[in-house]
Amino acid sequence: MTNDEIFAKISAKFPKVEKAAVQVKDYLTVRLAAKADLVPFAQWLKDNAFDMLETVTATDHLGPVDMKGYIRQQNFNPFLPDGATPQIEAVAVAGYAYRPVMDLLYVFYSVKDRARVFVRLEQPRENVSVASLTPLFKSADWQERETFDLLGVRFEGHPNLIKILTPDFTVGHPLRKDYAHIKDRFDE
Amino acid sequence: MSNATQELKTDQLFINLGPQHPSTHGVLRIGLTIEGEVIVKAIPDIGYLHRGTEKLAEVRNYHHCVVLTDRWDYVSAMPNNLVFCLAAEKLMGVKTTPRADALRVIMCEMNRVASHLLFFGTYGIDLGAYTPFLYAFREREMVLDLFEMICGARLTYNYIRLGGVMVDAGPDWLKRTTEFVEYFKPRLDEYDTLLTYNPIFMARTKEVGIVTAAEAVDWALSGPNLRGSGVDHDVRKSDPYSGYENYDFDVPLGKTGSCWDRYFCRVQEMRQSIRIIEQAIAKLPEGPFMASGVAKIPKPAPGEAYAHVEGSRGDLGIYLASDGGISPYRMHVHAPSFINLAMLQEKLVGMKVSDVIALLGSIDIVLGEVDR
Amino acid sequence: MAMILEKLPGLTKGLPGGELLLTTSDYFIDLGRKQSMWPMTFGLACCAIEMMASYASRLDFDRMGVIPRASPRQADVMIVAGTVCKKMAEPILEIYHQMPEPRFVISMGSCANCGGPYYDSYSVLKGVDRIVPVDIYIAGCPPRPEALQYAVVKLQEKIAKMSLKKGLATPQQEKGSRDINA
Repeated sequence: MTNDEIFAKISAKFPKVEKAAVQVKDYLTVRLAAKADLVPFAQWLKDNAFDMLETVTATDHLGPVDMKGYIRQQNFNPFLPDGATPQIEAVAVAGYAYRPVMDLLYVFYSVKDRARVFVRLEQPRENVSVASLTPLFKSADWQERETFDLLGVRFEGHPNLIKILTPDFTVGHPLRKDYAHIKDRFDE
Repeated sequence: MSNATQELKTDQLFINLGPQHPSTHGVLRIGLTIEGEVIVKAIPDIGYLHRGTEKLAEVRNYHHCVVLTDRWDYVSAMPNNLVFCLAAEKLMGVKTTPRADALRVIMCEMNRVASHLLFFGTYGIDLGAYTPFLYAFREREMVLDLFEMICGARLTYNYIRLGGVMVDAGPDWLKRTTEFVEYFKPRLDEYDTLLTYNPIFMARTKEVGIVTAAEAVDWALSGPNLRGSGVDHDVRKSDPYSGYENYDFDVPLGKTGSCWDRYFCRVQEMRQSIRIIEQAIAKLPEGPFMASGVAKIPKPAPGEAYAHVEGSRGDLGIYLASDGGISPYRMHVHAPSFINLAMLQEKLVGMKVSDVIALLGSIDIVLGEVDR
Repeated sequence: MAMILEKLPGLTKGLPGGELLLTTSDYFIDLGRKQSMWPMTFGLACCAIEMMASYASRLDFDRMGVIPRASPRQADVMIVAGTVCKKMAEPILEIYHQMPEPRFVISMGSCANCGGPYYDSYSVLKGVDRIVPVDIYIAGCPPRPEALQYAVVKLQEKIAKMSLKKGLATPQQEKGSRDINA
């Protein structure tokens, strides 16, 4: 099934769903209008042969990543002179539209038709909270936990939304662009 | 004692299949609540190898990121490099040369052979068979010798670079690889006599851990875990990359989705990989091994790309978003081992304690990919 | 056995030629200790695969008397192979304290030496010598299995210099790994 065929089928049922402004290269990317559309859209996809939820993730579009989230020592090799090993720092790129949104990404795949759909949902960055897809797709379980742990997106209806990857003493959500690392007992 | 029909009072025991364990393939912890020999609740606890590569990629050059990718699935590192390079090349709009594509295919398939040999050896050790481990490593060392000959490293290669490969494969290397392929073919029959049709091995794995096709798709399994349940999904056939459509190979499928089916899929995949390597070497085109348009410090235009390959563990995918700077703005890894492991919390309930290792070994996880 | 060994220097001081008795017993005790070092299998990440390769057919570790033991109670040396994450640091400490003395630590790979390629990550411990005293460092990412075997040879040389008069601990275990004068 080509991308245009898939989009035609989607728009026939969900006219408010439109193609995203930035398309993932070679794949169909659609944008949901509101977070209430998520569960009905996922249910419709599941009934129409898109029965595998491959990926659940999110992108934080706030700005370039804050260097306070990394543990950088200015001169970690005392045998080299200062400035001998320059490190890369993240800088803002002029002309790119940074905006304070959390851009959720869902990837649905159809094994029978060999077709893939990327679904985006933009939410304001503070207190992001969407419905969980765990009742529909079991693969959403751990991926939603990971998105919560690293990016702070809450999923309502998830049976067990706790940390999965970071240790218990990590405060905050590391993959956010404004994450500032708080010194714990293992740092110098 | 007084009443003959009084029930025996039992208690539940909490056991830690702790982070340090010879059979958990790395630092994985499973909290098991058992009643007698039967497991009542299983909670996998991961994150003991979480190194934060998705965050580190945001302050690394695109060429530096290839170094980080090696260490996800460290048992077979070539597909990791390949998937990142495919995604970055899509972002930058760079087209690779045919010779580079063929060399990439040869390397990935040889790495699949090495990775499945390691699976074969460690699965035997997990279930108590110590000998196949030594046989498997004898051949794996030969494969690693060939890799060392071409790129200098045994485990973390950094060979597949943006735009092509690092260095060309000379006629000497191709001759030695062909000799290795001829040497290896009868060994696969030897492994079958060692483990595959062994009655004890079959009794321990034939009825254990059955995953139906519908369950496998619901849990989004991939790789031999999905194909062991009979679902015909291989990225090399459904979404071909690097010229895989030019090679003739079969995709082995299982019937019931038991641990034995998943193991058997992997052993058959080794045979198919040998076929692909022979065809690729016979049809290797001449030409440059690196595309010419790759900058020293790549700065792709703002956009997003997704690429996925059939890694040894399953469907490995990378989602890259660029804002125009020298580092990726967001890199997300669709890690097959992470997703395959999630089904453990449901599958282990109702199994016996001695079947835990059989099921865990047959999923074939690598903790570097689970935790990233 | 350890109690007898501890009391041996005090007992032999009064005897004529007592020092000679002690140095000869030192030689045999150290011979026994170094030629049968049993490491604990502590593979964390990629370096664990090279460690497995050094136990396997081509580079047999058993010829040096090295047999992997899964339980820390039966192990002499802990080979920390792979990245030490902060979540794993406490289990490592617990396991180190479960090993009976004399115990040694080999830090294998650049992640265990100093954090390695993840030197600025929020969740990686920058070197296992921040929590346990390390005797031998092996550089590499990952180091070759021959490098691991050479490190065991170096550790054997270090054990050969141990003496009952100085006690059962190596200088690292008394002063910590980061003291370069130890």
